[in-house]
Formats: sequence, C-alpha cells, structure tokens
Amino acid sequence: MKKIILLFTAFVSITFAQSKDPDLILKNVIQEFSTVKDYVADIKIKVDVKVLKVPETRAKIYFKQPDKIHIESEGFAMIPRKGLDFSPSSLLKDKYSAFYQKEDFVDGIKTAVVKVIPLEDNSNIILSTLWIDQTKNVIRKIESTTKTNGTFTIILSYNSSNKFPLPDSMTFQFDMSRVDLVPNEFNDRIEKKNNKKTLAGLVGKVYITYSNYIVNKGISDSIFEEKK
Amino acid sequence: MKEEVLSDEKIIEVQNLSKQFKEIRAVDNLSLNVYKGDVFGFLGPNGAGKSTTIRMLLSLIKPSGGNIKLFGKSLKENRIEILKKIGAIVEKPDFYGYMTAYKNMEILGKISGSNISKKRIMEMLELVGLHKRYKSKVKTFSHGMKQRLGLAQALLHEPDLIILDEPTTGLDPQGMKEIRDLIIYLSKEKKKTIFLSSHILYEVELVANRMVIIDKGHAKVEGNVSDLLNSNKLKVTFEVDEIEKAKLLINDTSWMKMLNSIVGNKLIFLLEPGEISFLNKLFVENNILVSAVIPTRSLEEYFLSITETVSK
Amino acid sequence: MIGLINIELYKIFRKWRTYIGFIAIAVLVSVIQVAMLVEGQRSINFMTHNLQQSFILVGNLLNGYLVSHLILNTLVIHIPFLITLVAGDLLAGEATSGTYRMLITRPVSRISIVTSKFLAGIIYTCMIIFFLAIFSLGLGLSIFGSGDLLVVQNGTIIVFSKNDVLWRFLLAYCFSSLGMGVVASLAFLFSSLVENAIGPIISTMAIIIIFIIISGINIEIFRAIKPYLFTNYMNGWRLFFDDPIDIKEIVKDSLILLGHIFLFFGSAALIFQKKDILS
Repeated sequence: MKKIILLFTAFVSITFAQSKDPDLILKNVIQEFSTVKDYVADIKIKVDVKVLKVPETRAKIYFKQPDKIHIESEGFAMIPRKGLDFSPSSLLKDKYSAFYQKEDFVDGIKTAVVKVIPLEDNSNIILSTLWIDQTKNVIRKIESTTKTNGTFTIILSYNSSNKFPLPDSMTFQFDMSRVDLVPNEFNDRIEKKNNKKTLAGLVGKVYITYSNYIVNKGISDSIFEEKK
Repeated sequence: MKEEVLSDEKIIEVQNLSKQFKEIRAVDNLSLNVYKGDVFGFLGPNGAGKSTTIRMLLSLIKPSGGNIKLFGKSLKENRIEILKKIGAIVEKPDFYGYMTAYKNMEILGKISGSNISKKRIMEMLELVGLHKRYKSKVKTFSHGMKQRLGLAQALLHEPDLIILDEPTTGLDPQGMKEIRDLIIYLSKEKKKTIFLSSHILYEVELVANRMVIIDKGHAKVEGNVSDLLNSNKLKVTFEVDEIEKAKLLINDTSWMKMLNSIVGNKLIFLLEPGEISFLNKLFVENNILVSAVIPTRSLEEYFLSITETVSK
Repeated sequence: MIGLINIELYKIFRKWRTYIGFIAIAVLVSVIQVAMLVEGQRSINFMTHNLQQSFILVGNLLNGYLVSHLILNTLVIHIPFLITLVAGDLLAGEATSGTYRMLITRPVSRISIVTSKFLAGIIYTCMIIFFLAIFSLGLGLSIFGSGDLLVVQNGTIIVFSKNDVLWRFLLAYCFSSLGMGVVASLAFLFSSLVENAIGPIISTMAIIIIFIIISGINIEIFRAIKPYLFTNYMNGWRLFFDDPIDIKEIVKDSLILLGHIFLFFGSAALIFQKKDILS
C-alpha cells in the first residue's frame, strides 16, 4: 500500500511538476499566444486616478501579430501602452535575461514568478516580474520598473470558457509620482495658481474590460496605418 | 402798480425760490406768477439766474428753498402729471445728431408716453419749416434749424405751457422774426401760456404782455409790459411845498392822466422828456414852490445799467 | 418700461462704438481659431507629452469645445473693455451730447429713465456674451468638430464626454453674463457721476485691472482682501467645468455678483435721482 501511494505521488509529481526553467516557461507562453493571429474586441476603459477624471469610455481594439495595435474610439480614451499590448512576444522582443524566482498565487491561481531583465541599453524597462500560469500558459500579472515612467503593474484575468489566451479584464496600476505629468513650464504656472495640488505625479489604476472577441478572422493592414 | 391779466388762473406760481451752488446763490428768494394766456417775459442779464430758474421749473435742478406750483399743483409731488402739460426748450436745444429730425421727434414722443402719430410729427415740422428736411440727420442742421426743431419738439404733445429759454439765441434777424411770429401765433391762435426767457429787452417787448426782470437771482421789476416799457416816458418826481394846492391845480387837466402816484409832498408823473419843463412852469406860475424835479430812469436805462454793471 | 428700453437699445445700436465689441470678438475668436488650427495639435502634444509616454490618448482632443474653452478663459481680459465702451456712455453720453435736458423734461420719472438705460446696458452685455458663445462654439465646432473636452481644474485633468459638454458651456456663458453684468453696472455707476464717457471707461478698467493684480499676488494682506474683490468671482463660470459641480459655490458666487450689480445700480439710480442737470 505504501508503495502504491509512493508510486502514485511520484507519478503525480512528475506529471504535474511545474517547470522552473524560465526560458521554457516563457517559450510556452509565447507559443500559446501564437495561436492568436489577430483579434478585434470591444473594450470598456475606466480610469481611477486621483488627478484624472475621465468618464468610462468604450473603444474597439484591433490586434494583429506580431505587434500591430489600433484603437478606435468615438470619445476620448486614455489607455496604458504597456497594458494594451500584453502579447508575450512583444514583452519579450528584446534580448533579456530571465530567471525563475519562486511560486506565487494570483487570485488563488498558482503561478511561477519569473524575473526578466532586458539586456538592451536603450530599453526603457529596468526590470520586469512576470507571474505565469503554467496551466494555461498565460501571464496573470506583470510588474515592471521603467527608467522614465515609474513602475506599473498589470493584472490579467481570463475567462475559462475562452479557448484563446485572451483576457476578459485587465487592471493596470501605475505609479508615476516622480514624473511631471505636464511639462515644467505649465506645471509651474499651475502650482503657483493653485498653491496646492500639482499635476506633477500620477498614481492610480486603469481597468479595461474586454468583450465580443473576434479572433483570427483576418484584419487588413490598412486599419493599422496611421491616418493623417 | 396796474397789472393787466388775461385770466386769474395761475399757471406758474413761484414763491421764495432759491438755489445755492456751493458759495454762489444763483437764485435768491424769487417770487413770480404767470397767468393763463400770458406771454410772460423773464428778463435778465447773463448770469442773472434765468436758466437756473427755468431748470428748477422743469425739475432739472432741485431748489434749495421755496415752492413751485404749476397748474395749481406742487411740482415736487406731481412732476410727471405737470410735465405732460409742458413743452420746453432749455438753452441750446440738443438732439441725437446721428438720427434724423423725424426720428428724434418720434423718440421724444415715445419717451413722453404719448402715441404721437406721424401726421402730428410732420405737422410740427411743417409749422417750424423743417418738413422738407425730416429725413436729414440732425448733425447736418444749422444752429437755427436746431432751434426750430427744438420748438417743434416742445409743441409735439400739445402742451398748455411752453417754456422757452432764449429761443432766438444765435439766430439771424429773419430767424428771430420767425420765432417771434410763432410765439404770437401760439399765444393768440392756440391760447398757449408762454414763459419766455431772454436777455434782449426788445424781443420781450414785442411779444410779452407781462414780464419780470431779475438780476443776481432776485426779481427787480415785475409788471405789465405796456406799463413798464413805455419807453418814451420818464418817471419824474416833483417835490412841492404845497401839495394840496398842487393837486387842485392839476385836477381836471390832462396832467392828471400822467400822474402816477403821490407820496407825501411828492407828485410822481410819467412824462415825455419835453413835458417836464411845461409842468414845472405851471407850478412856478401858480406860486407853487418846486424844491426838486427828479427824473427816475426808464426801464430800458435801468436794464442797461444792470447789464453794464455785470459786464464791468 | 419696455418702450423705454427699446428706445435705449435703438440708441445703443445706432452708435458705431457698439459694433466695436462685436467686431473685436469676431476678430479675436477667428485669430485664436486659426492659431489653434495651425499650432493647436502641437501644443496639445507638448502638453500631454509625458502622459503619452505611458498612455495612448485616443479621440479628438483638439475640438471645437477645447478651443471655445480656451477662448472663454480670455474672457476677463478683453470683454470688460468692450462692455465699458457702451455702459460708460449710457448716462455720460447724454450729458456730452446735451440731450439730458430733452430727456429729463419728458413726463417720465427719472427712475424709469435710469432703469431703462441700465437694463438696455445689461441686454447689450448679454448680447455680447451670446455673440461670443455662438461665434466661438459655432466656428470652433465647424472647424475642429466635436469631441470630448479636456480641462484642468484645481490640479486635476477632467475629461468630459462630448454629450456632457454643451450644457456646461451654456451655463458658463450665462454665468459670464452675470460677471460682465457687474462690469457694466460699475461703468454705469461711474457714468452717472460725470459728463464724459472716457472717465467711466478708464475708471472701470483701472479697477478691474487693479483687483486682478491684487488677487494674483500671493501675499498675506492681499489674500485677506481677495474675497472682497468682485473680480475674484467673475471666473466662477469655471465651476461648471468641474466634476462634481460645486452648486453651493456657484450659488454663492452668483449671489455675490448679483449683490454687486444691485449695489452699483442702486447707487447710480440714487445719484441720478438727486442729480442737478447742469449740462
């Protein structure tokens, strides 16, 4: 009996053993996402930032591999750049060095924490930490520190019914408190005028909800051309 | 003094009227009465207080003291009701130069609250000889034309009392005559009461039946024009020793008609200059001692003496 | 009263100086619109440059509403002068032209005369603001189109959805009329004191400029004075571009401005009632 239990345990461990090889983990994620050639989705954007009051906006997002993105919106929309393109290939397009840190849980789901350090000098990102769900091979959380734009955190949640590795919601959390939101000369005037708050520094969250995905139906390149 | 009045209804009643401008007392205890149908001459040299008085009559200026009654009612308490019955020109008439003569009249009529018809406006313009220029802008008008337009607006709403402050100022002799003729017409044909202010004695003499002369804000002389302006007669005072004898002597003679008044032992006559010596001779031949013959200056001389004093 | 007001409006619009205001607004608005057409996008990009490092900004920010909002911000500088040109002449102009005598000897009360003139001045003020609104919004929307409005209010960037903007502008312009009404009332008061329109125009503008300067200098004594200066409340139209709208503050500002209007008009009426007409 003991032998059976031991054997069973070993079998389960081998079968469900999660990889600790960071390159492999990342490769699996990239591979999973490569099943998405293109997609169109409706997005709802809600901004929760102290110094920004933006109404909830609706927009349409177009994506085509490897990194083409286009947003259409009737009204004003403020969308985090990093959160918009969560394709792993885009995140990892430059040379990098990765190492496995530990296991962690995100929303109760076990993930592997992988640190990614870009090796390119001109990369704006200093360090990224990825929480990767190895069961679905999707990124559930990203934490990045940038040279010029402070730090940001992206939390992605996925609908289990969606066969593609596309999130149904994303929370983009950022801290730009050391960055002047408005260029200095304007900033000085505003500071002097109000004597209190300034537009220097931006901390908050942006919530994006995705719906009505149309995946791999083909999108013309002309959509992504910048209209002048 | 005899006063000839056409009516005993007082249209203007001024009692002890005064106006103080800082240190200057422009009008000082002025009293006068204007009766219905009068053409009342308000005479005085420049700076006498004529315009100030007129402005008080029209409530442009508030009196410092005294009362003004118009049509038997207090001006202070019945201003609007009274002004409905008054048409006036105060000094040089000014209009909205960028508007036509017709438009000015129309607007002034509307402000008065009256429904002045186009016909009425044209009638008034025709009366003053401006009907052919009704479409012209007032800024193109000469001084005389503005004066006539001023008269037209004063008559627009058929007032009972017309107040004219130096209406012939700046006009040529022809213009002056036209204004005078109009005043006479308004008085005789339209039975209007006219209050005419002027510093020209001759002008007043021709149209007014009653008048007052003011100087330094108060009345100097008031009365009937024909009495005051008998320009060929002098007031001569004969001071005699036997007054009863003198009275008997001139009784039933033509000299009696020239006797103005008796004060103590003085007989005051209104005489032609040439008659003085005859009367003196009569007294002397009848052994009445004449201790003094004092000719009083005529009204014209009096008025001129006032103006000379002012100009000096 | 309506008849008198009509007459006063007729007189106002028969003078060439009245049209200076409308022409000046048309020229200024056009110049600003053209400048924004040429340089506007660059300015917005510059202003949002740092923000654009981390965010994609989608939508037509350079739209008619943004430009109109910018123009409204210049309100306090040029509009008061255009208002005083007319309001300062309402009473003093009659003295200059000598028409006081003709006017006041009409069988109409002085209070009716002064009220009708004042109301005509207020109507003119509202017409100027209305013209600014129509020209600014009309031209702006036709050149730049519609879109969401981005404003900076008390250190916060607020974006209003385009369906949520027009009513704010309408109320802001209404409030501006109130603010400019104070300017007109002050000029009117000065006009009742003198016999030449130059004095009221210069005095009113001098007071506005001095008050604005005092309000802008950040020292203790001026901060204490500031709440008592009416210019402090003239920019209350900005409260309509806040989220949420501070209704209490708007009501307070409106009442203060209305109070100033009544005070200035009341004083002018009293002066006019007692005034000796010597011109």
